[in-house]
Amino acid sequence: MARRKTPAPRLRKTWFAFPRENGDVGARNYLLLLSGTLYANPTCERVTRTLRHSVAITHPLGRCQIAPDLKRTFDTLVAHGQNANAGAVIVIDHHREEGCTADEIAHEIAKTGKRVEAVNIRLSGGAIEATAQVTRIGMEMIRELTNERRREVPVSKLLLGLNCGTSDTTSGISHNKATGWVTDQVIKLGGRALLAETTEMMGGEDVLAAKCVRPALGRKIWAMVSKMEADILACGVDLRGSQPTGDNIEGGLSTIEEKSLGAIQKAGSAPIVDVIPYAQRAKRIPGLHVMDTPGHGGESITGIAGGGAQVLIFSTGGGHTINHPLMSTLRITGNPVSAKLQRDTLDVDVTDIFTGTPIEVAGRRVYDEVIDVASGKMTKAEILHEDNAFAITRVGPSV
Amino acid sequence: MAKVAMIIDKTDHVATCISAVKRGETVELMRDGRKSKKIKAKQNIPFAHKICVKGMKKGDQCLKYGLSIGSASKDIQVGDYIHIHNLESNRGRGDLENN
Repeated sequence: MARRKTPAPRLRKTWFAFPRENGDVGARNYLLLLSGTLYANPTCERVTRTLRHSVAITHPLGRCQIAPDLKRTFDTLVAHGQNANAGAVIVIDHHREEGCTADEIAHEIAKTGKRVEAVNIRLSGGAIEATAQVTRIGMEMIRELTNERRREVPVSKLLLGLNCGTSDTTSGISHNKATGWVTDQVIKLGGRALLAETTEMMGGEDVLAAKCVRPALGRKIWAMVSKMEADILACGVDLRGSQPTGDNIEGGLSTIEEKSLGAIQKAGSAPIVDVIPYAQRAKRIPGLHVMDTPGHGGESITGIAGGGAQVLIFSTGGGHTINHPLMSTLRITGNPVSAKLQRDTLDVDVTDIFTGTPIEVAGRRVYDEVIDVASGKMTKAEILHEDNAFAITRVGPSV
Repeated sequence: MAKVAMIIDKTDHVATCISAVKRGETVELMRDGRKSKKIKAKQNIPFAHKICVKGMKKGDQCLKYGLSIGSASKDIQVGDYIHIHNLESNRGRGDLENN
């Protein structure tokens, strides 16, 4: 067992953030180039390659979606513009995507008080003209953003996202336990954490319902898991192979129930104070919030970023490259094989849990990294531009 | 040195092997950092996979974390490797007619 020679320094209760007009605080101060529709993606990507300090969010949606599905796209894009990690936003539109126009998206984002502009490719005179226009506006915005300074803020201003992926049988006893310890510390200090992945609540509903501060919230969790299960049954298939995935099974997880009971260890022992729909902004109530998302990593962490999380712990058995373009995503593992194979994108190694290091010691290491990353330290995948995990979950077909 | 497997809850039927185990090797069971009894592995078990610590009849609920992680699809004895060949999920089974 690891023996402490000197007492560990006290847990840091503050971090350094960019304050926003609406009371939110950001862990980053990026210019966000937000694509309103897939046909605006190349303009976003051209500009982000030109402008240092900008990030692009692109996607294949925004056209020919049935109304509730298009609303999901619209709401998720707005929520990302509103995320406090974006210091300023330019929304880029191709033509006029009714129900999801750049002007409507910009109008909603502007309610936060941050600077927002909308650029329409057609009305600008084409792709090259729009590129020039976005580049020019963006450059001026970045001059202002980079003249702002971080301020010391309490941990209560942190909304910590929780997600796991490529889970295996090390997950529930190592990295997810360490994550649960961090969740508990953040919430004890008045902060918030956001748990998602409805598929991975299947089999753990009773445990989660027992944590809810009101019985109605527990019923909401039961209802959203039942709906997910009913959707699977309607396909007439055995969920196994899809959940647990092939790599989960190779990693020793035999059933979705086993995967779920390991996954919910990330929640620690904190009370559940709210249950919210996909990508909806979490209320400012301290405690654990639960969001209804699929188990698909990209789609779930996109929902969590929409919820307003500034930093996310992605705890992984198999190791991972997953990274959200706007919400700082740090990857941790307790699996010694994965720690070697995926070291390029591994931010915190907690494999020593298997050689006797107590959970609170490993958890403390993760907590310190969360505070550092929230305060500006870049994660490995952030440095590498591994911007692979913006994916909006669908509620309807393309038409 | 004996190999170690971790039991999470005292009611559990399974323990997690914290290193790969070969058939016939002795595995020492641990819960909350305390060692309890020793069992013999009946098959090879990869790192972090499950070993049976309490026998089950076909159809019995298999507990881990003190909760069901599925049903035994055949009789399972102490020391057996437990995975998809002898344990199946109770959830999301659209393949079963009576669902």
